[in-house]
Amino acid sequence: MSLWMLFKDELNGFYRSKVMLALWVGLPAMALVLYFLTDDIEGMPITMFVGLLVSSIGGLLTSVLIVVNILNEKERKVYDLFFVRPIRRENLLLAKFAAVFLCVMIASFIAIFLAAFLDSVTEGYGVREMLSSISDSLLITISLMAINSSAGVLIGVFSPSVLVGVLLVLFGSNQLSSLVLLPMITGWGEMWMVALASIGISFLLLFGASILFDRKEL
Amino acid sequence: MVGNGGEMVAVRGLYKRYKELPVLLNLSFDIPRGSIFGYIGPNGSGKTTTIKIMTGLIRDFQGDVMIEGRSIRNWGKELSSMIGYLPQQTSLQEWRTVDQSLHTFGRLSGLSENEVKERMAEVVDVLGISEYRERKVSKLSGGTLQKVGMAQAMLHRPKLLVLDEPVAGLDPESRVLFKGLFRKLSREGTTIFFSSHILSDIEDIADTIGILGQGMMRYIGSMDELRARVGRTTEIRLETVEPVPSDALLERIPGISKVERVADNRFHIMLEDLREVDAVVDRTIRAVMAESIHVRAIHPNRQSLESLYLSYADAEGKL
Repeated sequence: MSLWMLFKDELNGFYRSKVMLALWVGLPAMALVLYFLTDDIEGMPITMFVGLLVSSIGGLLTSVLIVVNILNEKERKVYDLFFVRPIRRENLLLAKFAAVFLCVMIASFIAIFLAAFLDSVTEGYGVREMLSSISDSLLITISLMAINSSAGVLIGVFSPSVLVGVLLVLFGSNQLSSLVLLPMITGWGEMWMVALASIGISFLLLFGASILFDRKEL
Repeated sequence: MVGNGGEMVAVRGLYKRYKELPVLLNLSFDIPRGSIFGYIGPNGSGKTTTIKIMTGLIRDFQGDVMIEGRSIRNWGKELSSMIGYLPQQTSLQEWRTVDQSLHTFGRLSGLSENEVKERMAEVVDVLGISEYRERKVSKLSGGTLQKVGMAQAMLHRPKLLVLDEPVAGLDPESRVLFKGLFRKLSREGTTIFFSSHILSDIEDIADTIGILGQGMMRYIGSMDELRARVGRTTEIRLETVEPVPSDALLERIPGISKVERVADNRFHIMLEDLREVDAVVDRTIRAVMAESIHVRAIHPNRQSLESLYLSYADAEGKL
């Protein structure tokens, strides 16, 4: 009960925040503008290009958003009033992870669907090609966002300050999420491997964050 | 069984250290059911640490705290529903409104949807914050935020309220409101444990006082017991209409140990034995009247908690 309630609360907080509003409009706009400004992307469909771009930029923003949010709340002792109530401490983290992940995913979906529409108009792609392109882009985006979000949660829990947290995100979570794309980029792996790897890594990161959060005296 | 008698809280042998720094050293005390317990001590003496252990926020410690006979180590729904906690500074998620914050805390404390709505209306009314219900927490003043903090602490009708510096930062009107509320809740059977640096507030409302020093409970009891134990000789303040020509007139009155002249017609008179205060007042009036000097005012001046606390610190060494 508490997880669902906390998730609804966090969602309520995030989707109306200024950062999220900027993302929902800014992310699709930024991806499309960058596409049209880039001369040569070797015949890559807009949908795929936007998918990669959105997962990279969106992933970074997601992890920064989560890290800053958790560290600010930790520093201000916001969690004390939750901890004195009968809830599982990790539910606070899971609710935050799920809310931010969902919000950024919606922003990414908007960008990718917009790109797919442009592909179909400019390149004359059929429905089947469009769906294939969208599904690949969405899978990449979801995978990278999941890793970035969960890494953001873990860094938020153990990091001593916002500055350290953001640096760790820049040099840690973003690189980690890129690693799972290697099998696909090098050509020896499949998309399902990327998805599986990202689920596993995200689970491990969240599990670690939950254990730390439960044991830590904040 | 420890902690299962008439006391609401039984603290037994608490020991807590932060790295190499010991904060609590074998701290033990009881809090009687329905009492208002004022917890005082110097900065860094371990007041907040005690409070955080009592509320389950610190779990790595030695010793035990029993609340109505239940060990704090078995923290769960039953214990947490018994406790209401107000931290030193109320910090809430800033994107929430007052209503959203209270609603979540009420529901998490186990109240049903209807109960939450009903209780929210009651507590915001009692605390005078009804007009702020739809306002975002980030837009509230410090005092109003503290009232929201108090609202969430009492929302689920806890049997024990644990309050860390609850009146710090409040304006005089709000302090009076909080103190009145504490008295009312205490009359209704709620046990209140609160720490404060404002000793006059503790003096006003606490029926039991605990003085913490160097990680141990240095004193526990009522104000009167503390006064009897460490109080300096009660002082009498005397003001006459005409000037008193010589201190000797007062110094030779039996029961007076020292006379301090503040002005020609005003004196602070120290007593040898505070139990003789009434007799000394009577003798003093007679003595000055015999010299054709009229008394404008005479009254015993009881020591404040602040003064008693300092006397206690003097008597016991550094707290």
